[in-house]
Amino acid sequence: MKAAMTRTRTITTHAFSALRAAVPALFALGLGSLMACGSAAAPQELMDARTAYAEAAKGPAADLAPAQLDTAKTSLDAAQKSFDSDGPSQKTKDLAYVAQRRAEIAAAEGGREKAERKRAAADKDFKSTEIEGLEKTKEQLEAERRAREAANQDVNKTKAELATEKAARAEAEKRAAAALASLQEIAKVKEEARGVVITLSGSVLFATGKSDLLPIAQDKLNQVAKALVSQGFKAIVVQGYTDSRGNATDNQTLSLKRAQSVRDYLTTQSIPPEKITAEGEGASRPVAPNDTADGRAENRRVEIVVTPDKG
Amino acid sequence: MNARTWVYACFCSSLLACGGAAVPQDSLTAAQADVKGAEVGGAADDPKAALHLKLAKDQIELAQKQIKDGDNEAAARTLDRAQADAELALSLAKEQKAQGDASEANDQVGKLRKEISK
Repeated sequence: MKAAMTRTRTITTHAFSALRAAVPALFALGLGSLMACGSAAAPQELMDARTAYAEAAKGPAADLAPAQLDTAKTSLDAAQKSFDSDGPSQKTKDLAYVAQRRAEIAAAEGGREKAERKRAAADKDFKSTEIEGLEKTKEQLEAERRAREAANQDVNKTKAELATEKAARAEAEKRAAAALASLQEIAKVKEEARGVVITLSGSVLFATGKSDLLPIAQDKLNQVAKALVSQGFKAIVVQGYTDSRGNATDNQTLSLKRAQSVRDYLTTQSIPPEKITAEGEGASRPVAPNDTADGRAENRRVEIVVTPDKG
Repeated sequence: MNARTWVYACFCSSLLACGGAAVPQDSLTAAQADVKGAEVGGAADDPKAALHLKLAKDQIELAQKQIKDGDNEAAARTLDRAQADAELALSLAKEQKAQGDASEANDQVGKLRKEISK
C-alpha cells in the first residue's frame, strides 16, 4: 500500500514537473493565439451587424424606437467583445447574427412608428376635411335656402303686382264702362268695321251754319274725351257731315270746319294731336232721308271714328 | 493554494465547462412562442417577414437536434438566433401593416377631398 502511494506520488511529481516545464510554451501558445485573434478579419456576420446598426441609427428608429436601438447596440457591443476576445468564433458569429436582427428590429419598429404617426395625421386630416365638407354642404344648403326664399319673395311680389295690376285693370274697365255708359247718354256709339263710331248731333254742337262750338257742346265733348282717354285708342278721325240742302262746296267747307273745331277742342282734353285728324264729308253718307226735317237733323252730325288700341 | 491544487482546480473546472451546460428549455419555449406570435401577427403574409419566420423555424429545428446531440451550449445560441428572427418577422409584419394602413388613410383623405371639391 505504502509502495503504491509512493509510486503515485512519483508519477504526480513527474507530471507536475512536466507541466511546469510546459508552462512557458503553453503561455507563448496562448499569447500567440490571442495575437492571431486580434489581427483576424471580422466575420461577415459582424460586418453585417455593424452596417445594419449604422443604417438603423440613421433612420427613424433614432427618434421613434430608441429603446430597440439601444438593445441593438448592446447586442452589437456583445458581438464585438466576443470577437475581441475569441476572434471569429461561432459564438461571435451567433452574437453578431442576433445583433444584426436586433438592429433590423429597431429599424422596423422605427418604420412602424413613423407609419402609425402618418396614419394618425391622415385620420386627423380626414376628420378635419370631413368637417370642412360638412360646413361646405351646410353653406350650400343655406345658399339654396336663401335663393329659394328670394325666389318665393319674387313670386309673392309678382303675385302682388299681378293682383294690383288686375285690380287696376278692373278699376280702369269699370271707369271705362262708366264713361261709355255716360257717353251713350249723349251720343250714339256703334261698332263698325272702320272702328267705334261716336255720333254727335250737329244741332247740339253748333248753331246753324256755324262752326264754333256751343258752350253746351264743350260739356259733351269733355265726356267724350274722358271716355276716349279711359278706353285707350290708336287713332281718331273726326268727320263732319251736313244735310243735302245748299251748296255742296259750302257744305264740304262747313263740315270740315266743324270737324276741325271738334278735333281742336279734343286736343285740349288730353287727346294727343298727332293721333287725331279732321275730315269734312259734306252731305255724303246720309244716315237718314234729307226730305224731312228730322232726317236732315240726323244727317247734320259729327262722327268720331275711333281705331281701338287692341288689334 | 499550492501548485498541485491549482492544476486540479483547473482540470475540474474545464470538465464542468465542457459537459455541464443545461438543456436550454426556457429558450426553446420562448423561441417557439415568438414564432407563434409572429404567425398570429401576420408574418406569413409579408415576403420579408415570412423569410425570417422560416429562418426562425429552421433554427428551432437545428437547436432541437443540437440538444439531442448533447450540444446544449450551441443549441442555446441557435435558439437566440431563432428568437431574434421570430421577433424580426413580427416587427416587419407590423411595419408592413402600419404602412398599408397609413397609405389607405391617405387615400381616403384624397378621395374625400375630391368628393368635396365636386
